[in-house]
Amino acid sequence: MTAAVDRTRRERRLNRRIADAALRYLLMLLLALGLFGVILLLSGKNPLHAYADILRATLGSTYGFSEVLVAMTPMLITAMAVALPSRVGLINVGVEGQLYMGACLATWGALTFIDLPAWALLPLMVLLGMIGGAAWAFVPGYLKAIGLVNETITSLLLNSVAPKVVSFFIFGFWHGPMDTNKTANFVSAARLPTFFGTRVDLSLIFALALLVLFWYVMRYSRWGLEMRAIGGNPQAALRNGIPLKAYQVGIMCLGGAIAGLAGMALVSGYFGLLLANFSSGIGYMGFLISWLSFGDPLGVLLVSFLVSVITTGGNLLQLTQGLPYAAINILLALALYIVLARPTFVRGAK
Amino acid sequence: MHTHLRKVFVCLLCISLLLTACAAPAAPTAAPAPTQPPAQPTAAPAQPTATPAEPCLIVGALYGGPKNDAGYNQAMAGSMAAMAKNIPCVKLIEAENVPDEAGAKTTMENMIRQGARLIFATAFNHQNPAFELSKTYKDVIFEHAGGWMMSDNFANYFGAPPNSWYAMGVAAGSMTKSNKLGFVAAFPLGWTITFINAFTLGARSVNPQAQTIVAYTFSWGDRTKEADTTNSLINQGVDVITMHVDSPSTVIGTAESRGVYSIGFQDLSAQQFAPQYWITGTGYTLGGKITWLTQSVIDKTWKPIFLRCGVKDGCMAIAPFGPKVPKEVQDKTLQAMKDTDDGKIVVFKGPIKDQSGAVKVAEGETLADDKLGSVNWFVEGVVGSPK
Amino acid sequence: MTLLAILGIISSAIYSGTSLLYATLGEVVGERAGIVNLGLEGVMLVSAAVGVAVTSRTGNPYLGILAALLAGVLMNLLFGYLVITRKANQLASGLATMFLGFGVSALIGKDVVGVRIAALPRLLLPGLEGLPRVYSSLFRFDILVFLAVPVAILVWWLLFRTRWGLGVRAVGENADIAYASGRNPLWLRYQALLVAGLLSGLAAAHLTIAYTMTWTEYMTGGRGFIAVALVIFSKWHPLRAIAGALIFSAAVALQLALQAAGVQVSPFLLDTLPYVLTILALIAWGGTRRHSAPASLGRVYLGTE
Repeated sequence: MTAAVDRTRRERRLNRRIADAALRYLLMLLLALGLFGVILLLSGKNPLHAYADILRATLGSTYGFSEVLVAMTPMLITAMAVALPSRVGLINVGVEGQLYMGACLATWGALTFIDLPAWALLPLMVLLGMIGGAAWAFVPGYLKAIGLVNETITSLLLNSVAPKVVSFFIFGFWHGPMDTNKTANFVSAARLPTFFGTRVDLSLIFALALLVLFWYVMRYSRWGLEMRAIGGNPQAALRNGIPLKAYQVGIMCLGGAIAGLAGMALVSGYFGLLLANFSSGIGYMGFLISWLSFGDPLGVLLVSFLVSVITTGGNLLQLTQGLPYAAINILLALALYIVLARPTFVRGAK
Repeated sequence: MHTHLRKVFVCLLCISLLLTACAAPAAPTAAPAPTQPPAQPTAAPAQPTATPAEPCLIVGALYGGPKNDAGYNQAMAGSMAAMAKNIPCVKLIEAENVPDEAGAKTTMENMIRQGARLIFATAFNHQNPAFELSKTYKDVIFEHAGGWMMSDNFANYFGAPPNSWYAMGVAAGSMTKSNKLGFVAAFPLGWTITFINAFTLGARSVNPQAQTIVAYTFSWGDRTKEADTTNSLINQGVDVITMHVDSPSTVIGTAESRGVYSIGFQDLSAQQFAPQYWITGTGYTLGGKITWLTQSVIDKTWKPIFLRCGVKDGCMAIAPFGPKVPKEVQDKTLQAMKDTDDGKIVVFKGPIKDQSGAVKVAEGETLADDKLGSVNWFVEGVVGSPK
Repeated sequence: MTLLAILGIISSAIYSGTSLLYATLGEVVGERAGIVNLGLEGVMLVSAAVGVAVTSRTGNPYLGILAALLAGVLMNLLFGYLVITRKANQLASGLATMFLGFGVSALIGKDVVGVRIAALPRLLLPGLEGLPRVYSSLFRFDILVFLAVPVAILVWWLLFRTRWGLGVRAVGENADIAYASGRNPLWLRYQALLVAGLLSGLAAAHLTIAYTMTWTEYMTGGRGFIAVALVIFSKWHPLRAIAGALIFSAAVALQLALQAAGVQVSPFLLDTLPYVLTILALIAWGGTRRHSAPASLGRVYLGTE
């Protein structure tokens, strides 16, 4: 009896907290929209038309919605690649680089084993992509574990190296006779299957499965417990017999593997070839998303969705409002700024 | 404490907004400029007002870079603007800085959803996505600038620059004192190599000592790399510079500031960057053909054709000469242009040797037009690597 | 290789290394106060766009430089508000600043793409008037190039020879102790960011108003990130930053010179050099702590409110 009362009380408190948080973030979003509206007004555009266009281009049609999902998929995966290491206190800023290396190795698979059927080639490419990302994350993970260099610095530096390695292979070996900065189109067996005639592909399922798996492992498994212990207090965890270094290297590599999966998904699903400098900061976006949602799976889903709505909608603004495509970054950044500044206009905000 | 800080924050934001407002010239130029009508907000079907007349055709045009780059994208946008002026009932919707490959699909889909039934994809890496969309949207006609794919509703159009490049070479070869010509190239792309070869053949036709030194930036639009490369070439003693990158502005501006001659490519407006040391330039002027293609779509007589056209057809033009170019050089250049157009001079007629001296095109033979896009060797007289 | 070729490479290296040096100096000052600004790329972009826009409107490159400086300061203070006053995470705030820079610069620069601006005039290095033109043309630079090394020395003097610099470095080492010894960590960090903003503005101004003389979106092309690497490579020291910037730009210049000689060194592998060298140097030095990395770099100062 008391247990039931307790549970309802706890649920009510939880609901209240969720409602508070929702209200807080809603107000922040409105503030960002308002500020961006001022900028639009100043540059002679009508903000209401612009926002109507964004909504119409994203949630107004099945096509628009499918495009949002397409944009959201790599963000979900890269955010997971940051969220997982962050649980043990590791800061993985290197997702951008790991994503490139995943794409690079997966492409090597796609170009080498062209005769394999899809059921064999796709898993192989997934594996290769994850190996590529993991290898790229191993360096910072290992250097951190032996106490030599902070993983933030190394993973950040490696971000700038990976796209150049990719370019080296494309320009040197993989480009077609009429092209220079991209590979030939992948054979159809190397393409992730898409759904319902849209561009939404299998990687969305990967991403959602990862989210659920992440949530389950963190919550219910011994690993999750140990990881939380490390994240809370690494020294105490070490004293309690948790293999700290193995965890640090392993988790960093796992994060890298997830980022590599995102790279594989992009070349195999979205692009269908490998293009030099194909990612315009998706890895960095993943970092921000994970950070804003405190690495919480549901939060990652929500924030990724919002960011995708903004970026997808931004594409139409150029056609209808004559606004540079890059300008949508302002709205994105304003929203980020406001969340980072944690304004105190709502009770409960800190 | 907190309210105080919030005030600071608000102030900062206001300043930044003001700065945006001032520096974005209070956006008078953002309003319809005469040359480039931006897409009007009336595109939104949600607004029933202000559609004077139903457009006879909605045309979508996408560019890989900014359409006022004084280079390739401006040339492409300029021909679109000319078409829109020639056929007033057409509504033109444009998108610039469109990403390569799959990223361009979103833009094209949005254009089709805005009612576009004819799409001009002007960037090199927009061919794939446009071709794929043409399979889905059978009622939409796609034209790609400079591609090679063809289908029932997909064709391509472009200028034919090799002849103009030959003439540019004649001008460069006549003007150089050091006999070193510099070529800033984006990529070792087949077409780029063909341009460099034509340029060098032209230069050596009037000055057998002339050499073309080639350096790559490995990007269509990395201004810093372009400045690096131009300076590097000039430091090696080059005294005429030309380029095949999206926007010639940085290369020509850098050459001008160091007192080195330049030859423009892509858009004729590049001349403004070199008031002193400009020799001449060549650029795309496809407005006439774009008008013709668009009209044929309106008249429902459009057929997929592989369209290439040169100076004679008005698709390419030679820019005015700079103040330091003597009359005889001007005449020689124009004569070379005329001769190549008339067929008196065939640029890639044998014997042509490559850098190592091996004969690539034998006496009496000619390099076929469809081979020009995949050339992977430099002619004799080029210094640099075709890879 | 002839003397002319070598001088040519040196000239290229000095010219293209200047903006790198300014950007690196700016990041050095910020990091010495304990603040990592990953948004440097965005700050530089906004400065560059504002600089070109103002130069194009007024026809005066010096006003353009001034505007670029102001824009750099403004962007840095905006970033500072997040990480100093609101105590937000530095990495996330930096990345947000980067995205803000992408957007704001695109909007500001929209109308000055492909516009010719009045570039900074070039002056011959004094004392070289007698040289033949082929040589003297290698040493005609704009004023910002000539000022680069003096500015680096000035930054070194500020950081290591003044009370203010002592305060900034103290805050970067340990803000609590600095506070206990009567300094105001928040205020000092703002001041450091202000100086860093000025230097980033100079970097952007040189890049656009003197070097490329045009504006286009994303035109910094990763220079902000190279600078972040160079800060580490030069061990957070303004004078070593001169060497760092020169080594990297000389490598690029050498690659271009070799290219034109028909020798193709992969430019992509060469471009990885600053990052790979920095990582190797970090390993060789035995980690970040063994050599002068500010101890509380990236750490939020929660203060004593």
